[in-house]
Amino acid sequence: MSRAVALRWNGLPVEARISRKGDHAVLETGERRVEAVIAREGAWIDLAIGGRTLRAATARDARGIWVALEGRLYRFETLHRHAGERVDADDSGEVLAPMTGRVAAVEARAGATVREGDLLLTIEAMKMEFKVSAPASGVVRDVACAPGDRVELGQLLARIAPAAPVAGGDREGP
Amino acid sequence: MFRKVLIANRGEIALRVCRTLRAMEIPSVTVYSDADRAAPHAEAGDESVRLGPASPADSYLNATALLEAARSTGADAIHPGYGFLSQSAPFARACRDAGVVFIGPSPESMERLGDKVSSRRSAARCGVPVVPGVEGIENAAGARAEADRIGYPVLLKAAGGGGGRGMRRVDSAGDLDAAFESARREAAAAFGDDRLFVEKLVEPARHVEIQILGDGKDAIALGERECSLQRRYQKVIEESPSPAVDAKRRAAMEEAAVHLAQDAAYAGAGTVEFLLGPDGAFYFLEVNTRLQVEHPVTEMRFGLDLVRAQVEIAAGGGLPHPGRPEGFAIEARLNAEDPYHGFVPQTGRILLLSWGTGPGVRVDAGIAEGQTIHAHYDSLLAKVIAHGATREEARTRLIAALRHTALLGLVTNQGFLLDLLEDEAFRTGRTFTRTIESRRWPGPEAPPDEAVLAASIALSAPPRSAGPGERDDADRWSPWRLLGSWGRA
Repeated sequence: MSRAVALRWNGLPVEARISRKGDHAVLETGERRVEAVIAREGAWIDLAIGGRTLRAATARDARGIWVALEGRLYRFETLHRHAGERVDADDSGEVLAPMTGRVAAVEARAGATVREGDLLLTIEAMKMEFKVSAPASGVVRDVACAPGDRVELGQLLARIAPAAPVAGGDREGP
Repeated sequence: MFRKVLIANRGEIALRVCRTLRAMEIPSVTVYSDADRAAPHAEAGDESVRLGPASPADSYLNATALLEAARSTGADAIHPGYGFLSQSAPFARACRDAGVVFIGPSPESMERLGDKVSSRRSAARCGVPVVPGVEGIENAAGARAEADRIGYPVLLKAAGGGGGRGMRRVDSAGDLDAAFESARREAAAAFGDDRLFVEKLVEPARHVEIQILGDGKDAIALGERECSLQRRYQKVIEESPSPAVDAKRRAAMEEAAVHLAQDAAYAGAGTVEFLLGPDGAFYFLEVNTRLQVEHPVTEMRFGLDLVRAQVEIAAGGGLPHPGRPEGFAIEARLNAEDPYHGFVPQTGRILLLSWGTGPGVRVDAGIAEGQTIHAHYDSLLAKVIAHGATREEARTRLIAALRHTALLGLVTNQGFLLDLLEDEAFRTGRTFTRTIESRRWPGPEAPPDEAVLAASIALSAPPRSAGPGERDDADRWSPWRLLGSWGRA
C-alpha cells in the first residue's frame, strides 16, 4: 500500500516510496528501508527510528517544503505535472539573475562568441560582487541589462545561442 | 551618563546594543529603513525613527537623517554598531559638530588607524611588523610594477574599509588588470573611496586579532580571537583563544596592539588585526576602529560587556578592569547565503525560527519569524556562540546548538557551519585563511531518508503554509512558482 513520494530535490524526483498506517510510516528506496513512529506537533515532526528520536521542523511556501533536520536544511519541491523534467535554464540559452541585486558591470557584448564559464556580467548584492558566467559556449544573442540596473531573482540578463555540437569523430572514438 | 542613545544600525547588532542600554537603564532609539519596517530592531528601542528608503545611502548611511533623528528624540549619543558609518571619521566629526557624542574613537584616531594606508605608517612607526607592500596605487600599471617587485601572489585591498570588499587575490600578472578594476569599483561602491594598495600574500596564514579598549590615554588588550575560517574574506567562524597562539606570542601581539592604540590616543573599543605566518611571525593587517561582529567570543571569556565598556568610555568613565579570561569560546555566523553554490546571497520569508539552546550558549540574532530577508543589506542573520571549559566542550556545545536550530524559508549556511565545526581541520585547530576556499564543499549529495520522510508527512497535511496574501515578493521569479507548483499537495 505504498506510494511514490511526490517530491523533487535539486530539480530531480526523489526515488522513494512511503506507506503509512496510523502513527507508523515506512520509507523505502531501492536499497534502504526506514521505519518510524511519527508524532506531530504543529510544524514539528518527531521521528522515532530504532532507538532514537529525530526532530524535524517543516514549513511550506511557494518554493516548496522546507525541512530542518539535525541542523541541516533541505528544500523539496512538490511534484507537478511535468514530473521528471529537469528545470534547467541552460538548454534555452537564457541567463537568469541568480539573485536580486544591482548590475555592477557587463562584459558580454551581443554577437560576441563566448566559451562556457566566460564572465558575462557582475551583480552586486549584499555589498558583494558576484560573477555571472556563460552557462554554455556559443554566441551572445542579446544582453538585457546594463550597468546600474536593478535586477530581480530570475530576471533575464542575456541570451546565448549555444554553439553547434562539435562534428566529426572526436566523440565517438574509434 | 547619557540621557538617551540612538543606535545607528540594524539587525543583530542594533538589538545587541539595545540589550546593554536597557541593562544600563539608558533609554534607546532605534532607526529603520522602509525595507526594515517589520524587522525586530525597528521595534526594539524605547523609540524608533524611520530614516528613509531601503537603499543604505538613503537610510543607515544617511548622516543627515541620523543626526535629525537624534535631535528630534533628544538623544545625546550615537552608537554606530559595526559596518555602515561606524568607521566614518566625517560622521564622527558631524556628530561632534551637532553636539552629539559618537560612541567610538575620535575622528582623528579613526583617520590615523582606520585608514589602511596611514595605519600601516603608524604600525611601522611603532615598530609593529607590516606585510611588504605599497600604498596609494593609482592605476593597474602601478599595481603591476609593485606586484612584480614584491612577487606574486599579491593582495589588492581597499584603503578605505574592510570586510573583504574591494579585496582581490592576484596569482599572476595576467589577472591583475581585471582584478584591479573590479576591486576599485567595489571599493568605490562600498566606501566611496577607490584607493587601493598592493601587498605580498602571506601563506598559509592565520587571521589573529587583538581586542583593545582605550580611554584616550591608556589602553588595555583583551586577548586574541582567531578568525581564520573565512570565505570571500569574510569571517565565518571565530574563536578565542587561538589554537596557534601561546602566552609569549600573545603577550607580544597584545603589546603591539596597545602600543598602536596609545600612539593614536585611542578611545573606545577597537581591534588590531594580524596575519600569523607559518613561521610564527605576525604582521600588522589593519585596525577596525569599532566593535567587531565577533566581539561576543571575547565577552564570554572575560565575562565583560564590551558595549557597556564603549558607552562608559564615551561618557568619560574610564577603562574597565577585566579579570582573567576563562575557558574557550567559539562563534558561528549564520548567513543568508547558499554555501554549496558560491555563497550566493539568499532572500525569502522566515516561515519558522527556533534556536537551539544549552549551557554556555548565546544567540545574538536580528531576525524573527515572518520577517522577509531582503538583498539590501549584508547577509548576516545571527551569531551563535558557545563557551566551554575546554575547546572541545565549546565546539560540541556549538554543534549541539546548531543541530537544534531550525530556520525555514530561505537557504542559509547552517549546514556548512556544521561541516566546518565537524571538520578535521577545525577539530584539530589547523585553520588558515584559505581553508574554506582551497577545498570543495559539495553539500549533501541527496537528502537523508529521514528528511524525505518528514517532507512526505508534512506534504500529506501541511501544518503551516504561507497564504497567498503573504507571499514573499522576492519569490515572484522563483522557477518553482513560475512552473505552477505553488500550493499543490
